[in-house]
Amino acid sequence: MTDLSNDKAVQAVKNTKIQKKDEFFVVDSPIDEPVTETHAADMIPEKDVTQEMLTGSSANANAWLMYGGGYEQQRHTSADTITPENVDGLELEYLFQTGTGSGELEGSPVVVPGDPPVMYQTNGPNHVKALNARTGDVLWSYTYANPNNIRPCCGLNNRGVAVYQDKVYMTTLDANLVALDRYTGEQQWSYNSGDPAKGYSNTEAPVVYDGKVIMGSAGGEFGVRGYVDAVDAESGEQVWRRWTVPEDQWIDDSWQNGAATVWMTPSIDPQSDTIYAPTGNPGPDVWAGVRPGLNPYSDGTLAINSSDGSVEWHYNESPHDWWDYDSPSPPIIFDEEVRGSERRLVMSAGKVGWLFTMDAENGQLMERSEAFGQMLNTFDLPPAELEDSPWIMPSADGGAEWNPVSYDPNSRTAFVKAMNYPSKFQWDREEYEEGRLYLGGGFTVAPEMDDADYPSEDDWNRKLGVMSAVDPISGEVKWRDWYDEYSMGGSMTTASGLVFTGNGSGEFIAYDVESGERLWQFNLGASVNASPVSWYDPGTEKQYVAVQAGGGGLRSHKTGDAVAVFSMEA
Amino acid sequence: MEDSNIQEVSIGEEERRDFLKLLGLTGSVGAASQFSLSDIRSALGSGTSSELAAMGEAIRADLTGTVDADVLANSMTGVATAVETLPDVRAAGFPAEEATPYQELTEPAWEAYRHLSDIGFFASAEEHLPAYTSEGLATTTEELVRAEPLTATLSEAGFSEQEITATVASVTSQQELLKHWVPASDLPADINEFDPANVGPLHKRAAGGALLWIDGLDDHLWRNKVLVSEQMYDQGVQHTKTMLGGLHLMTAAAHDIAGAGEFDDAHLAAGLAGGAAIMIAGQENMAGDVYRITDEMRADGGF
Repeated sequence: MTDLSNDKAVQAVKNTKIQKKDEFFVVDSPIDEPVTETHAADMIPEKDVTQEMLTGSSANANAWLMYGGGYEQQRHTSADTITPENVDGLELEYLFQTGTGSGELEGSPVVVPGDPPVMYQTNGPNHVKALNARTGDVLWSYTYANPNNIRPCCGLNNRGVAVYQDKVYMTTLDANLVALDRYTGEQQWSYNSGDPAKGYSNTEAPVVYDGKVIMGSAGGEFGVRGYVDAVDAESGEQVWRRWTVPEDQWIDDSWQNGAATVWMTPSIDPQSDTIYAPTGNPGPDVWAGVRPGLNPYSDGTLAINSSDGSVEWHYNESPHDWWDYDSPSPPIIFDEEVRGSERRLVMSAGKVGWLFTMDAENGQLMERSEAFGQMLNTFDLPPAELEDSPWIMPSADGGAEWNPVSYDPNSRTAFVKAMNYPSKFQWDREEYEEGRLYLGGGFTVAPEMDDADYPSEDDWNRKLGVMSAVDPISGEVKWRDWYDEYSMGGSMTTASGLVFTGNGSGEFIAYDVESGERLWQFNLGASVNASPVSWYDPGTEKQYVAVQAGGGGLRSHKTGDAVAVFSMEA
Repeated sequence: MEDSNIQEVSIGEEERRDFLKLLGLTGSVGAASQFSLSDIRSALGSGTSSELAAMGEAIRADLTGTVDADVLANSMTGVATAVETLPDVRAAGFPAEEATPYQELTEPAWEAYRHLSDIGFFASAEEHLPAYTSEGLATTTEELVRAEPLTATLSEAGFSEQEITATVASVTSQQELLKHWVPASDLPADINEFDPANVGPLHKRAAGGALLWIDGLDDHLWRNKVLVSEQMYDQGVQHTKTMLGGLHLMTAAAHDIAGAGEFDDAHLAAGLAGGAAIMIAGQENMAGDVYRITDEMRADGGF
């Protein structure tokens, strides 16, 4: 493995001072300029990633070219070397340690095919490495120069990059987008999308389509106004902006603080040139009395024309939300035969606790699934005092949280990993302090409380996470596996009938998609709060599965700094 | 049309008890089925709130000369037509994709809203009217019951006597929630990264919010047809009518400022505060009964 002890980019992250202040973080970065460290960059095959390659990413067993595997974000690999029959022989190929310190590993690597294939791996705060995907050797590393005292609300993670032509794109904690030379790691340009002083930040993986980088922002806890930006992939200039709070459907000027941020990666349908953006909570989070009406386009899926940013439709999973029920989990585009005809559909798993299946063309709801976790007093409105609140499930964490769902088209099954514990909520117009985030109220989650008067075990089974297999057409939950610890991050399916995911206890598991039987597992010693990816390497004739294990985010059980890569020979 | 038997705004037994309790009356004013405002008015006896009278006087002073009587009269006529049309809209079933029958119902109401906003009506109302504390709500409701000339205008808008009673009594269904609706002027001034100046005055939020929820029915009913039951749809129609009633009361009171002078100052204040409370209760009920759909409520739709 590469010696990182003198890597300036790695050291910059290690020396970043992080102060946790209540629910958010103050970051003090030691660098004023971006830092790139070159190790063996000349090993990177100089073959640009084309639009054709991106469009074909889902079907290309040798690649994982974007966050969700392909534009449809099914997180489904067509590689089929690893099967239910042989997965018990899956072995650790290498365990790469980031060297940047413990935690903040919520990302999905991107793998560009070649000889060798190159993995672009990120972790917080805003650190990227190019790795030889066969060996884990570092080819270059890069750390972004965040300004001091920025305030991302919910962790310093970074969930991944986008690649296109000769560039790598990453969003930053101060709401910028940077383009790096994919072959050298040198920063090419930076695009400023939002003012971090107003609370804008970003941790999502961007996505490139038709020469444009598509990105949103975080900041919904600070009263920002959400947006989706299309940025010219070559020049870094803005092509269009779609504000996600429509002025004419909010009362007075409440739209200015209406949030509805897009803080996870949108999906894109190349057949219709439509972007499906997952939208977050309306602002303020908990006190809806100051923002009457349905609060479009929050808490759901926003369909946008990729050419000009015009809105095509919106589905809201929690109208006039009081419970912080964002819907950040990326929508999945899929085709299924329904009543004898093939339909183009979009599914979305929300923090509200159901999987919604919609017509991709117009957003009409086709089915809402059974609840994938437990429900309790759902939609009870917050009282003025916390002690008067009933326990409510899903909690303010969800539900599906940001965890990306995966889909297996062969068994027609979506895999939703969700949080499973109750919250109490209150609205409070007076409880705030200068410098604190503004929710318009408050909430707590049961596992974080001392001396909690929990609901009965009939109402809440004390399991903090759950992996569910859901039929998006019938809405049936086919099977569940309950987890003891917080469980963030997503899953990945294979063409051979496996679904991989990890949990807060550090278990990385391969399930049979049909039965839910655990066919293989490996304990990585740190919470798997990230989402696995897979690719086949013709040069080694092996299928690889990679996942980060290091925890990260607000709910993390055990931190670490590992990127684990497993393999199986064909 | 689909079977429907609860399109009229009605009052339940629990709501009747809560209403009487709010007014400080015992439960001797008839069962829900025969319960009327005139009975309650008799039980309350005469009297008026000097506090509300002072508030009404101040609002009248602020706005005299600014209110366009024609705009508001046209709006009230339009709202009455909307109330009359509502059963037909319901009878047509779930709206088709991109159809806007409910948005068409609210167009006249939006006219009044825009005019009142333009002349500073909502700012004046918020400045002078009481917050929805338990005490403030009781005073407002009591005065609204006594404001017979004002509530009687609802009959011109197509409300039956029983529906007028139920509309006024609807504020009791969401007493706790009404406390969430604080005046914008009571917001703390220096909230970090949130500007209270962007929040509309309380009564503007009440009226605008009510109209947004009604407008939203077009899309919600079509988009969520697999979840929305006929019963939920009927409840949505009830809440729509209640909110239109609340808006009509507010508009009628504002119209009086233009010169008719039919309502005394206390009744004026009660019409504005009470109308807004009715619209708030209506939208909270609409959200809970029609828009936020639990598994227990949902229709058995889907593929």
